[in-house]
Order: sequence, then C-alpha cells, then structure tokens
Amino acid sequence: MSHGPLRHRAAYVAFDRFPSSKGSAVHIAQMADELFTRFGGGLLAAIGGGDLPRYQREGTREVARFDASIPNLIDRAEAFSGWVAAHLRPHWETLEVCHVRDPWSALPAVADGRRHTVVYEVNGLPSIEMSHTWPWAAPATLGKIRELERFCLERSDAVVVPSRVIGEAVRGLGVPEGRIHLVPNGADVGDRPERPAGAPERYLVYVGALQPWQGLDVLMRAFARLADLPGLRLVVCASVPERRAKPVRRLAERLGVAGRVDWRFALPHHEVAAWLAHAEVSVAPLTGCARNLDQGCAPLKVIESMAAGVPVVASDLPAVRELMADGRHGRLVPADRPAELARAVRILLEYPEEAAAMGRRGRAHIEESLTWARSRARLAEVYRTLTRGR
Amino acid sequence: MNRCTVTTGFFVLGRCGQAAVAACPQCGRPVCAAHAGPNALCPECAAAQGYRTQDPHHPGWTHGYRRDYYRGSSQTYNDGYWYSSFDEYDRGAFNPGDDYSHGGDWGPDDDTGFVDS
Repeated sequence: MSHGPLRHRAAYVAFDRFPSSKGSAVHIAQMADELFTRFGGGLLAAIGGGDLPRYQREGTREVARFDASIPNLIDRAEAFSGWVAAHLRPHWETLEVCHVRDPWSALPAVADGRRHTVVYEVNGLPSIEMSHTWPWAAPATLGKIRELERFCLERSDAVVVPSRVIGEAVRGLGVPEGRIHLVPNGADVGDRPERPAGAPERYLVYVGALQPWQGLDVLMRAFARLADLPGLRLVVCASVPERRAKPVRRLAERLGVAGRVDWRFALPHHEVAAWLAHAEVSVAPLTGCARNLDQGCAPLKVIESMAAGVPVVASDLPAVRELMADGRHGRLVPADRPAELARAVRILLEYPEEAAAMGRRGRAHIEESLTWARSRARLAEVYRTLTRGR
Repeated sequence: MNRCTVTTGFFVLGRCGQAAVAACPQCGRPVCAAHAGPNALCPECAAAQGYRTQDPHHPGWTHGYRRDYYRGSSQTYNDGYWYSSFDEYDRGAFNPGDDYSHGGDWGPDDDTGFVDS
C-alpha cells in the first residue's frame, strides 16, 4: 500500500452522499469503478457526514468526503465547489480525466488552465429538477442555475447521459450532438435471493426515494382501489430516512390503506434486490411532470426490477419506454391515473402465468442489453476517445 | 486484543478487524500492520495529509492559504462570478424548511444530492 500523498490521473466528483441506499450511489459506484480501473486508481470526492469517514484509502483509490453541515443548499453548494477545488489542486498536474455529476462539481473542474478533460455526466438538470424540490425558488433564480449549467456543459469535453430524453434536454441547452454520449444505466442479473424475513405472502413493491415526482401519491390512490384483494400488501422500500415519509404516510392514512402498507427505510442494495425478487409486481408510478418529461430520467428501479425477474407496471413516459416495452416486460400506463394503474396491477395479479412470463422476459432483456458491464464498456469507450492522442 | 478499526470497502463499507499493531499517532485509532502507514498513521489521516485543511482555525491553514494566494489562482478554481450572482433573495428559497417544503426538511442524515432515480 502506498503511504505518501497520492497523485491521481482521474477524479470522480459528485454532490451526492456516497455510499448510500439511493440509486444514484449504485450508479456512482459503477461509473467511478470503471474510471479508476482505466486510470490505475483515482480520487472520488463526494458528500459524507454521519458515520462515513472523511478520508478513505484503498490501494491507489482515495475517497474524500465533504461533511460541513450547511443547511442552505446554495451556501452548501458554494462551499462544496471550494472544497472540490482544494481537493483537485494537488492533482492538477497529473489529472487526465475529471468526471463530474452536477454543476457544483463541474465548476471547479472546468476552470481555466486545466490540462485534463472533463466528462460531465448529466442524470438531471438542477434548473428543472429544483423547481420541484424547491417550489419557492423564483424563475429568475432557476434561470441563474440554468446559466451555470450551460457554462459548465459548454466547457466540458464530453457529456454522458443515461437516457435519450436527457440527451435531448442537454442538446436543448446548446451542447453539440457529437459531444453527447448515451451510457444507459444497468443492473446485474444474479441468482434469485432468499425471501426477505417478514415478507408478506403477496405484495406489490415500490423501490426508491419519495420526492413528489416519484408518484407515491398516485400509487397509494391506486392501492386503495385494490382493497378487495385479500392479503395483498404494498411494501415501500424507501431509500431515504423515515421522517421523509411523513406526507405519504399521512395520505395513506387518509385513504385508509396505511394498515396494508409495510415500510422499509434505507435498506442496503442487496436487501432491496430480495424484496424485488419476491414481489408480485414492481410499480414505478413516475408522474408526468417537467422533471420526468422535459429533463428526463433513467429510473434504476425499472431496470433493477426487470433484473430481479419481476413484472413492472410503470408510467408510460418516453424515458421509461427506452427501458421496457408495454405488454412484454410489464405494463405501461398513463401517468397520474390511479385507476389505470390499479387496473394494470389487477390484471397482472389475475394472470400470474403471463405476469411470470413478463418477469422472465424482462430479466432476459436486461441480460441482453442493459447490464452494468455493457454500460461500463460504453463509458470506457468515451474515456478512450477523449484521451486518445494525449 | 485491539482490532483494526479502519473503514474498508468502496460501495459496501466494513471494518478491517485484523489484530492491531499500533495506534495512529494523530487520531489514536488502532491499526493493523497492513493499514499502518509511515509513523503508524492510519489511511484516513495519511490521505488527509495530502489535502489542505479546510478549517481556518487549524494552524496548518494559514500556510496553505498564503501559499495559494501568492501562487495566484489563474490556474485553478476562482469563482468570482457564479456563486456571487446568487443574492440573498435567490438563496432564501433554499433554506431548509418544515415538512411542507419538499426537500427542504434537511437534517444531518440527509443526502444533499438533488438528483435521484
């Protein structure tokens, strides 16, 4: 093990906690691992806090975590950018590729006088997404964030997007077609895990975070329409802390379904896989909002559900259509329509053989075209193209 | 017997757990032979040495600050524009709020990421 200060050729920067139980952490792990494999190690700079150590060193890999508790998001982002700059500085002479995930990480990476190339991975655009998470942000404020995004994207050497819809949104911000690379999300297809302890006999599963665009409210309303099905429960594997569930829980109580909903919070990834594998149906009720339609998304839960061999009932959005086919891997239903969602679930429950066949086809589809190995090979190709001739 | 408490792993974290041979002189944690660096520093403290301290009250901070100031910042991140364009009014919308503000309910166990799939 090397003991002196390391000088890295690659860095991956994310304004996101790592590791965590969110889909984004799975994505970061895969992408950063590919980058560090290509460049003989590297620095991962991410958000920490809690029990996570501020620094970690594993052979030629380093993890540095920003853990300042700054409640205001913009203040925090500003402090993070400064922290990233300080952590890139020791590597400024040796750095060849800096892979970033958001404008706050990108700003210090695209600074003048750099020798490295910048790969900007766009999973979402804060200028669109923040209008949902921060409804009081003025359009003028979001406009400033859009300009910041545009500035960082313009100065990046390559933009990686997980879906065509996001690619389109990035193109709309003025990034030339030739600089945009599609690297879809993936999943690993493994053995069927053991049934989780305490799993109900028959259950629908929802996996993911609880922001309003996830459509948990639509799912709860749909579930209320399935009250006549004896013993059917809904398991929500939330990737966020319990207190975030308050609004959805209140709604579940109002709808009279709270007693049939089981909650699990911030489960490790392998446990989520077990809950998926034994569910009757996995539901991805994404709403038809600007975040999902204009910005686009690449819901990992859809891919991971298919990898687990479970039929999926999801909202019929362009970003979801890129991943699964209606009637083949599950059902696509109009977004924000609880009755339609309930009906699709009910039909799958009534035709278990057809549902199982959909699950099998979904799994085969992932094996054929959406594994992490494939995504990583595509990312490696982007790095190769960029660093060629350097 | 003391066990090495160094955090290991990348996506799934754990503790090393090997028999400790020394205590890190900086943070005092027990470290095993494989994780003890020069002067028995643990990997966390050894990695931290490679980066300037972020704490202005730390004695090492002035040195790094002064060095960077004189070296000039034309080659590195020097955001004199972007963040200063966010005034109090802009920032005010991003204060953590109560349960009613989506995403505004912020605590130490929360993620700061804004993009989630």
